[in-house]
Amino acid sequence: MESLTDEELMILVANGNIDMARHLFDRYHVRIYNYLLGMTKNREVSRDITQEVFYKLIKYRGSYGKTRFSSWIYTIARNLCNDHFQNLKNKDYSWDEVEFRAGKPDSNTIEQKENTEQLNRALNMLNKQERELILMSRFQKMRYQEIAEITGLSIAAVKTRIHRAMHKLRTYYFQNIEL
Amino acid sequence: MKCKEIESRLIDFIDRNLDDRSFKETEDHLEQCTGCREALEEFKTIFCAIDNAYQEVSDPQLRADFEKMLEREKELVPNQEFPSFYSKERNSRRPFLQLAASIALILMSYFFGKYQDQEEHTQEVADLEKEKTELKTEMTISMIENGSASKRLQAVSYAGEFQEPGDEILQALTGKMFNDEHVNVRLAAAEALMRFSDSQEVRKTLIEALEKEQDPSMQIELIHMLVEIKEKRAVPVMKALLQKESTASYVKEQLNISLEMLI
Repeated sequence: MESLTDEELMILVANGNIDMARHLFDRYHVRIYNYLLGMTKNREVSRDITQEVFYKLIKYRGSYGKTRFSSWIYTIARNLCNDHFQNLKNKDYSWDEVEFRAGKPDSNTIEQKENTEQLNRALNMLNKQERELILMSRFQKMRYQEIAEITGLSIAAVKTRIHRAMHKLRTYYFQNIEL
Repeated sequence: MKCKEIESRLIDFIDRNLDDRSFKETEDHLEQCTGCREALEEFKTIFCAIDNAYQEVSDPQLRADFEKMLEREKELVPNQEFPSFYSKERNSRRPFLQLAASIALILMSYFFGKYQDQEEHTQEVADLEKEKTELKTEMTISMIENGSASKRLQAVSYAGEFQEPGDEILQALTGKMFNDEHVNVRLAAAEALMRFSDSQEVRKTLIEALEKEQDPSMQIELIHMLVEIKEKRAVPVMKALLQKESTASYVKEQLNISLEMLI
């Protein structure tokens, strides 16, 4: 199975062999979960949405077209994530109540831990779209083309916005250090 | 070169996304400009922090929930179809068949009109049908033995259109599948035979063909077909093929997938 591409596996799933979804789960669930964690800062919510992503993958397997699989699954994750934020808004949750927990495991050095906290603080100062673009491009190592497919922006727009967001992030990151 | 412009290039500079000229320009500028060098270091620091940022690993609960969900969904699909890359779509009607049908229709109309006043015309039509089938069979078989590969190919496809082929047709097709020198004819014969996979004989010959076939592309097609008709008896042959050293690696990959589907 290792030799099959994501797309081939998904075609098998779409044709009714839903056991093949297990391989896609193996390849993607950690990445999707971490992307969601970066967006929501909440493990429980991220776990629920990740679960929902794979549920939708199976439920709507028939609608999978000839698209790049990674773009397809991230689009699902992104839409669910947006729904989640929409719900929060409707319920009048304030942003501060969203738990901030993503951090480093204890095994890392204190300096690295500080850097991550620093980074997280700077990331939180960005708006949602900027954070999303940086998560996709720098944390998930996606190419501009792929991000464009997921977000529906042009490649040029993706590139410009990521650069702008990175410059902002740099400002916030070093601003914080001086504080 | 202005610092502002250089600064806007720094990310691409780190990512090595610049063309040679821009890269060199930036490099030269960085050598002289302390401010831009600092900015470069700051970006590098952030990228380093990002790379070191903790990515959470798999949560066992997540996998358990996924497995549960998968089982639930599988129950909703009781007759799990086996997927196949082999297309079920047939080619559009062949002109040859259309011609044969037109002639048959004219003949039938003529005979039907001639005999319709007689009481036994039903019997006549049945006889005529039989005659027509025999004629078709004969024509097909003679074409199958034709010297030109394209004629044989046409005939083989035509043979696949029979509703209830006689033994002669099946035998002719089987012969072509085993022995034709052209892989396309062998493949067409196999495809035609596959339409009659209700017959145990035909299923057996398909397995036998896989055993004998040397051409990798034909092997792959046969494997697809056997999976499609869910022929579990093909498993030993597939396993043997998997063990064989001469089997192409991509055929082996296909075998692994197919065996998983069959077992």
